[in-house]
Parts: sequence; C-alpha cells; structure tokens
Amino acid sequence: MIDFTALKETIQSKHDDVRENFEPGGKFEKFYPLFEAQDTFLLTPPDTTEGMTHVRDAVDLKRVMFTVVVALIPCLLWGIFNAGHQYYHYSGMEAGMFAKILRGTWIVMPIVFVSYLVGGLWEVLFAIVRKHEINEGFLVTGILFPLTLPPTVPLWQVAVGISFGVVVAKEVFGGTGFNILNVALTSRAYLYFAHAKDHSGEVWAASADGATGATPLGMGASYGAEGKNVAEALADSGHTFWSMFGGLEPGSIGETSAIPILLGAAILIVAGVGSWKIMAGGCIGLVAAGLLMNFMPTTGMVEGEMVQLTTWTQVPFFYHFVMGSFLFGIVFMATDPVSAASTDLGKWIYGILIGVVTVLVRVTNPGFAEGVMLAILFMNVMAPIIDYYVVQAHIKNRNANLRKFSYAKG
Amino acid sequence: MSTDIVIKKGLDLPILGAPGTEIRQLKADGTRSVYPGEFAGEKFKCVVKEGDTVPRGGVLANGKRIDGFTVRSPIAGTVKEIRLGERRALAEVVIEPTGKDDAESFPSFSMDGVLKASKEDVLSVLVTSGLLGLIRQRPFSRIADPEATPKSVFVNGMSTAPFRPDAHLLTQDRADDLQTGLNALTRLTDGPVHLNLAASAKEKKDALTEASNVQINYFQGPHPSGNTSTHIHYLDPIVPEDVVWTLRVSDVLRIGELLRTGVYPNRQRILVAGEGVQEEFRGYYDVETGVNLNEVIGPVLCEGDQRIIRGDVLAGDAVKPSETGIYLYDQGFVVLPEDMERNLMGWYAPTIEQYSAHNVVPSSWIKDRLFHFGTNTRGSKRAMVLTGIYDPYTPLDLMVDPLSRACIAGETEDAIAMGILETDPEDFALCTFICPSKTDFGSIISKTLATIEKEGI
Repeated sequence: MIDFTALKETIQSKHDDVRENFEPGGKFEKFYPLFEAQDTFLLTPPDTTEGMTHVRDAVDLKRVMFTVVVALIPCLLWGIFNAGHQYYHYSGMEAGMFAKILRGTWIVMPIVFVSYLVGGLWEVLFAIVRKHEINEGFLVTGILFPLTLPPTVPLWQVAVGISFGVVVAKEVFGGTGFNILNVALTSRAYLYFAHAKDHSGEVWAASADGATGATPLGMGASYGAEGKNVAEALADSGHTFWSMFGGLEPGSIGETSAIPILLGAAILIVAGVGSWKIMAGGCIGLVAAGLLMNFMPTTGMVEGEMVQLTTWTQVPFFYHFVMGSFLFGIVFMATDPVSAASTDLGKWIYGILIGVVTVLVRVTNPGFAEGVMLAILFMNVMAPIIDYYVVQAHIKNRNANLRKFSYAKG
Repeated sequence: MSTDIVIKKGLDLPILGAPGTEIRQLKADGTRSVYPGEFAGEKFKCVVKEGDTVPRGGVLANGKRIDGFTVRSPIAGTVKEIRLGERRALAEVVIEPTGKDDAESFPSFSMDGVLKASKEDVLSVLVTSGLLGLIRQRPFSRIADPEATPKSVFVNGMSTAPFRPDAHLLTQDRADDLQTGLNALTRLTDGPVHLNLAASAKEKKDALTEASNVQINYFQGPHPSGNTSTHIHYLDPIVPEDVVWTLRVSDVLRIGELLRTGVYPNRQRILVAGEGVQEEFRGYYDVETGVNLNEVIGPVLCEGDQRIIRGDVLAGDAVKPSETGIYLYDQGFVVLPEDMERNLMGWYAPTIEQYSAHNVVPSSWIKDRLFHFGTNTRGSKRAMVLTGIYDPYTPLDLMVDPLSRACIAGETEDAIAMGILETDPEDFALCTFICPSKTDFGSIISKTLATIEKEGI
C-alpha cells in the first residue's frame, strides 16, 4: 500500500522549499503559472475564503473539466479499435482483436500526443506572458480535437490545427471563458478548409490501396446526386442504420460509433456537466428538419424541363443521427458552455437550430459533406444574439409581472 | 389573515455545528466599545472627548447626513479612548463603566399608546436614539431615510441561513417588547407591516405567531426562503422609485424596549454557533452591547485557528482583530475552523467528506448527512465557465448569469433592468457557494449596488 499521507507531506514540503523561487522577486517568477499548475494539480490549494461567504462547495473547475475528458474516454477507446480495424480492412489483411488495438494505438496516440503537446505549449506560453493560471479547459480541447480528425491525418496538420485553434480562436479573444467559437471545432474547421483534400470524407483512400474508404455521409451525398434511393444504395454498400449506429465504419477517430458517444452523453448529463437541453434541442431540430426534407420534391422544373433533383433529401430522418458526426458534435462540442448560449431558453433555441442547420448544410449543400461542424460554429457566433433576445424577453416579462403586482395592490 | 408561500429553489446547507436552544446570561464588567462605522453610509462627528462622563444612552457622536441621528453609549461611564480610522473617520469609542446607574430618558409609550402616536413622534425617538440605524431601506440596504415613506415594512422572523438565530428564541419572554415594536412600525408606513415566519412555526403559539396589527406570512422551503429579499419579492416587489424598510426581529425587540421603557436598551441576545465552538457552549447568550467578544466566545473556542464571523457563514463578515466589541446590529456569531489543509489530488479524488451540491462530486449523492466545513476555497479561482447553474439557487425572478456579467462589465442600466434593485448581496451567497470557478458574487453585486446608489437610478 502506498502511504498517501507521507506522499502528500513529501510533495508539500518539496513544493514549499522551491515556492519562493517562483513567487514575485524569485529566480523563476516568470514560470509561476507552471509551478501553480503542478502545485494545484497535485495538492488542493491552501487558499481560504474572502468576502461575505465563508464556505465553498467541494466542486472545482478542474473536476468539471476532467469529467468531460472521462466522458470522452469511451470514444477514444472505440476510436483506437476502429482505426486498427479499418487499417487492416482496407489493407486487405486479416488481423485479430489484439493486433487491431495495437495498430489503432499506434495510429491514434501520436495524434493525441501531438495535440496535447503543441496545444499545451501555446497554453503555457500565453499563461506565462499574460501572467495568469494555466486553464484546465485545455485538458478537454486537447483530446476533443484529435477525436474529430481522420486517423490518417498527417501529424504536422494536427500541430498546425491545434495551434490555430488555441491562438486564433481562444487566446486572441482573451483566453478561456472569453472565446466566441469552440476551440477544438475551430481547429477542425481550419484543417477542413485549409487542407481540404485530406479532409474530404475519403478517409482511408490515402493510406490503403484500392478501396476508396469513403464515409457513409460522403457516399450518401453522391448517391443522392445520382438520384438513387439513398438508404437502399447505402445498404448495398454495406451501410445500414445499425451498422452506422455500431460504427465499425470509416470516419473520424471518435465519432463513428453512437454507443460510446451515448455513454459519454450519459456521463455528462448525470454529472450535470453537459447541458441536456442543448443535446435534446439538437435532436429535436435534427428530426424536424430531417422530416421536412423528406417532403421535398425530387423532381423540379428547370427552364421548362422536368429534371431529377437530389434524392439525398429523402434519406430517412433518423439516418442523420448516425451518419457523420452529429451525435459527437451535439454531445461534446455544442455543449461547450463558453461558446454556447448561456440562458436556459437560449440553450433550447441554440440546440434546435444546430440540428436544423446541420440537416440544411448536409442536404442542400453538396459541397460540404459534414454539416454539424459548420452548424455549431455558426450557432457559436449566433449564441450571444440568442441570449440577448432571451434576456430582453425576461426583462419585459419581469417588468410586466412587477407592474401587475403594483396595480393589483391599487 | 396569513399568507402561505412555498419556495422550491435554493439549498439548505448540511453543515455541522448547529446550536442548542439553551439561553445563558453573561455579565461582563470590562469596557464597552461603540463602532459608529456599523451604520454604513453615515458619517459622524464625535461630541465627547477622552475623560468625559456619559450616562447610559448619552450622545457620543452626531450623524452628519441624517439630521438629529446619534450614536449613544450603551452604559454609564467615562470615555476611555477615541480611535480614528481611515481618513480620520470616527472608528471606535471605548467606554469604561463607572458602575453608576444614571440613564438618559427618552419619551416612552404604552404598548397600545404607540398605536395612537404620530409617525413624527415615533420617528423622532428612533432618529435621536440612533436606533433608526437598525432599520434598513431597500433598495441598497442602507440606513432608512427618515424623509422617505416606505410602501411597506418587512420584519424577518426566519433563519434559513446557517446559523441565524431562531426568532422564536429571541422573542422568548419578550412579547411586550415585540408587540410595542411592531405597533410602532405600523406608524411608519401607510402600507402593511409584514411579519415573515417559517411555515414550520405555524403550530407554535408564541409572541410571533400571535402578533397583532401586522400581516403574518409563512414561508416554506430551503434557504433563501428566509432572506428578506425573497419575502419582498413574493409579497410586494420593488420597482424603481419604490422604498421598502426592513428589520429583523431582534431590531424590533430593541425598538420596542426603548419605546416601552424610555431607557436606552443595552442587552441583546446573540447566538454563538459553528464547529469552532465547543459543542456544549453552542447556543444563545444574553450579553451587553459593546462588550468584548473575546469575553463571550474566547473561553469556549475549540483548539486551533478559528475564524469568527459576524452574521452567518453564507453572508457575514470575519471579525477584525481591531473590532472585537459586540455591535448594536449583532445577533449572532459563527465560528469556523480556518482550513488550509491541502489534499493529494483532491480535485479529482472521489470526495465524500466534503459537501458538494454538484452531481459531479460523489459527496452530493449522500443525503441526510451533515458535513464538516472549513474556510478553505476547495479549488482555485478561475474564469466563469459553466452557465445556467446558478438560477436553481435563487427564488427571485433573476437570471444570474447575464445579471452578474452586466455587473462585471459595469452596465448598471442593464443590471437595474434585470432586477438588481430587488436584491442584496446576501441573496447571491448560494451562487458563490456552488460556483466551480469560485466566483465571489457577493462582491460583484455589492460593488454594482454601490455604484448605482452613488450615480442614482
């Protein structure tokens, strides 16, 4: 058994020995954020309360943030296995479970490592220059971003992407809590547009011979353009609703299977860390828009001639849940409290509109295979406006209620 | 005729250290300290000098803002020391009791006689005796302005915050003082005087539940159902331009005693509670105003470093070493152990010993159990990240996120529109408590309220 008390005392006394070097006037005062990060990581801070409220809840932001990381672990594990599986599948080799996991680890972990390392360096650099603490929010961004990437992504792109996200999406706006856009998603969007050929939905094409390795979402769009019955055509290529739900499919690392994502969602909701209102709103929006699309005509008049329009609109609405990364996006990205709407009603509206815009982008804009990323980023930008109107409505209601009260009293 | 109001939102803190119901008498013979600074917002001019003799109820200082407002000596004695604080403001007057019994006399009224007195008569006694300082005015929770006419008066007879004294124990054996005080309050407003009590006290038959000439309301639910702001919000909400006066039962008792006897009251019942006090000594003490706190609490403290709090753990002030006398306004003290203990990986250890209201901490799943609380922040201060988590802790019609952001950004007009005038910093104590980023909402709100008061609505 480890003697935790002795361990704690040792750490505490060692830290106390060197603390003065990091405090103002010390040799390494510039590196105080690093010291603080390690100190408060290993031991809870010795700070006591100030102000009128003298006691505090045991919760702290580290725990909240780390809970999101825990909720992402099922996705990571699945992503590792699936990456190994797809590798062998598209290489045309037979492999056992163990080999797949090993291969998947070999593919995925460097991506996660580069993301944490490069993003972490930026985080520390800004903390030192700005003289603030290192924020735990990066624990989440650092794992969220790799899970949105295809396993075949070159590592230099991971480094460039996370740098863009941390610096441009977050630090430029003032750091954690002040960013308008979700950091991981901005990184992802940057790669999507700056290096489009590596992020087109043809995941395994680059690494495997012969097979195209297209994601079901990419296929669906092209089948639609060809005027086929999308669901049937997908089934012919081996993608049914349940196969996509299970997620042994090509796709980005963390988002192919619904099962680990739903598990993560359950963790977030039970822990009260992720907003179930946003998640539920997103699902409602997706169903509503998906159903509406099913009523779209598949033929139309163009210059007096009857032409075939895309049948992509006719895909059963529930397919949208399991195709692409809608679930991953709505559970882990849309619920980022900093970039989401902050009011209760605002969260519903924000979630619903993400669902609607996801379907609209997917179905009506064949240029972009994945709508959820753009939908969330777009709604990130809209969130303050939604909140503004919700607050205005609240003020109006409030005043009406108060006045009613005064009048009633005569 | 009584009103019943049920509050759903809020939280009762499961904190150890609750007091017993025993009432002890303490006779102190040391010096008495008077702190004019406890009447925030008023400035004073000292009218005595060291060595002067004053009777009980004798004037020590005159208010500069409110005409005729005074600070009085709680005991007959000689002025031993006059201490000035920042900017030479009068900070403390120390009186050495002489043991004589001479007392200044004030106009006195019978319990029913006060009902026939005019508003001016009652107010003039309150202003000149300095007990006006016990009446607070909303918005801004400042000393009542004698020129203003409150639309209603609220008397708080509840104690949902840990640990505020039980109003029923404060009023024990003092029915006459209570009723005289309440009668006097009815003279101050054209509207009703609301006496707000806990629903659990409804079956009791005592001075409070049987008080007359007032509107009795029963509030049920978790803290802050016992906060005055909650009562006002549900009974007679404040819109800009409205003025409401608020008191606690202990204030009504003191006012009643003065009006009934004509002698400046100098005893008060205070509650001493909290884990920093030895268990058998947690309870009520009848003490004299101005005595040194160390005489009351000193001998009964637990070992170790303790923080003595004036008020309650959610909304109180740590007692300054320079101000250890008992204020006129004091009705209780809570003592908490100073906690600088560091825990290994405490931020993710499966904590069950430290209470949390958040599901993410395992201790929140344990129901019906009381927890140790110290003064540790239990986490580091960070930017506000989570949203929508505060609203379940305020029964007022507020949106805490946008309101606090407006305050931080200095948007006072927005803050007013969102209802800040209905609030007191104490209403945000639970938000401060549960905040994972360790944000101090109390100071955010009080700074904004101060700015609004200064700049005008």
